[in-house]
Amino acid sequence: MNVTLTDIHRSFGKNKAVDGVSLQLGTGVFGLLGPNGAGKTSMLRMLATVLPPSSGEIALFGRDPRGTAARREIRRRLGYLPQSLGYYPSFTVVEFVEYFALLKEMPSAAVPKAVAAAVERVDLGAKAKAKLRTLSGGMLRRVGIAQAIVNDPGLLLLDEPTAGLDPEQRVHFRSLMRSLGESGTVIVSTHLVEDVGAACSEVALMSGGKIVFRGTAQDLTARGEGHGVGDAPLERGYSAVLAEARS
Amino acid sequence: MISPNEPGRLPSADDWSGGIDLGRVWAGIAAEVWRRRPGWTERMAARLLRSPGLARALVTTPSLLLPWVIATVVVFGVGALVSLGPGQPLVWLVAPAVAAVGIAFAYGPGIDPAWELSSSCAVPDRLVLLTRAVAVFAVNAVLGLLASVASGAVAALTFGWLLPMTAICALALAVAVAARSAIVGAGAGVAAWAIAVLAGQAAGGQLTASVTNAHADLPYLAVAGCCAAIVVYAIRPQRGLQ
Repeated sequence: MNVTLTDIHRSFGKNKAVDGVSLQLGTGVFGLLGPNGAGKTSMLRMLATVLPPSSGEIALFGRDPRGTAARREIRRRLGYLPQSLGYYPSFTVVEFVEYFALLKEMPSAAVPKAVAAAVERVDLGAKAKAKLRTLSGGMLRRVGIAQAIVNDPGLLLLDEPTAGLDPEQRVHFRSLMRSLGESGTVIVSTHLVEDVGAACSEVALMSGGKIVFRGTAQDLTARGEGHGVGDAPLERGYSAVLAEARS
Repeated sequence: MISPNEPGRLPSADDWSGGIDLGRVWAGIAAEVWRRRPGWTERMAARLLRSPGLARALVTTPSLLLPWVIATVVVFGVGALVSLGPGQPLVWLVAPAVAAVGIAFAYGPGIDPAWELSSSCAVPDRLVLLTRAVAVFAVNAVLGLLASVASGAVAALTFGWLLPMTAICALALAVAVAARSAIVGAGAGVAAWAIAVLAGQAAGGQLTASVTNAHADLPYLAVAGCCAAIVVYAIRPQRGLQ
């Protein structure tokens, strides 16, 4: 298992962001759905080893990230796209991706090819030498995805990756996620249920810091039969599970 | 039947279309075209620091404009304050802490736009911060040296503050890299600075008098309080991200 969470809690003051989540994940694309404030971003930040849990155990690639050496080893195999991607406006696309490849301690000799491959995979070859300040929001999102996949991560954490992408790019990105999920664990947090239906082998729905549903997209769709809220079958399933969790 | 590899036969594009991964070929070409050749400073830093990532952080520090401006203002401001209070060892001992807090704040989560990404990377963020401190002091020391030609006050600031702090930060980074611990490196830097300041005061016979000066207690407490407040602010949990 690449990811093992045992009774994870995380609080910010009195607000419980994550409340007793346990999870085991192997390879594949895992969708994390939920309304705003459900705890998805806190979950991803803990998995990215940026935010420590208030209590509970995390094991990534079988290692405990609390140990300095283990954390460093985990981070070499990690790809992370935060919800709001901060970037350096004066860097070019290639410089930005390369900078993070080096901070991920990739072997220097492998970096140029890995950067070129990552930039091409997100279809930004034509903008490789463009300054980040000149790019649109959707292009910046793709730069963020490129830096996340540059080290061919065993665990890829994507927080709202398709926000700002046009329909063509979203279709392209779903195919990229499926291909990355064949060799590693991809966890994608999103509001867009169609992304989950198209790309995820498994889905979890979070509400109030807890996982209130776990199964396939088909299972979630089935939960929505006879439920009135939502335009698409998967949306109806999402609404039905949320309504049940809140009642 | 003629084999594609038969002598005397030129290969055609059809012979190879199934055997070549064009994506890989293009990535190889793109890598060569887009490759950024590191300058001698970066190559030397990568060798000394044993980390191309730290070397890149070092050379790119001045290009992060807002953090750079804030860090530079803090460094020069503290340097100016230090030059106003010569002979006070506690001022000299506290000054690097204030400068370090300023640099940490400038390149910390509140200002550095990519801090969240950097802190999820394998190169420890404290080592990156030490590297940034070296860059801030070193580049400003070079600028100070150039400006020293025109101004005696800048020369005093450069030789009395920027150059010694560059040396101390470089020592701290060297120890941190050797010990693989930024805390150990920072400790070595603090120890070296304290020894240098106290030895200088002891040589002048002023050590006891300056430490027992009751009038200096309040300003020192105020400075310590400010440092603590900035540290608390810099390491606060990020709101709105849960």
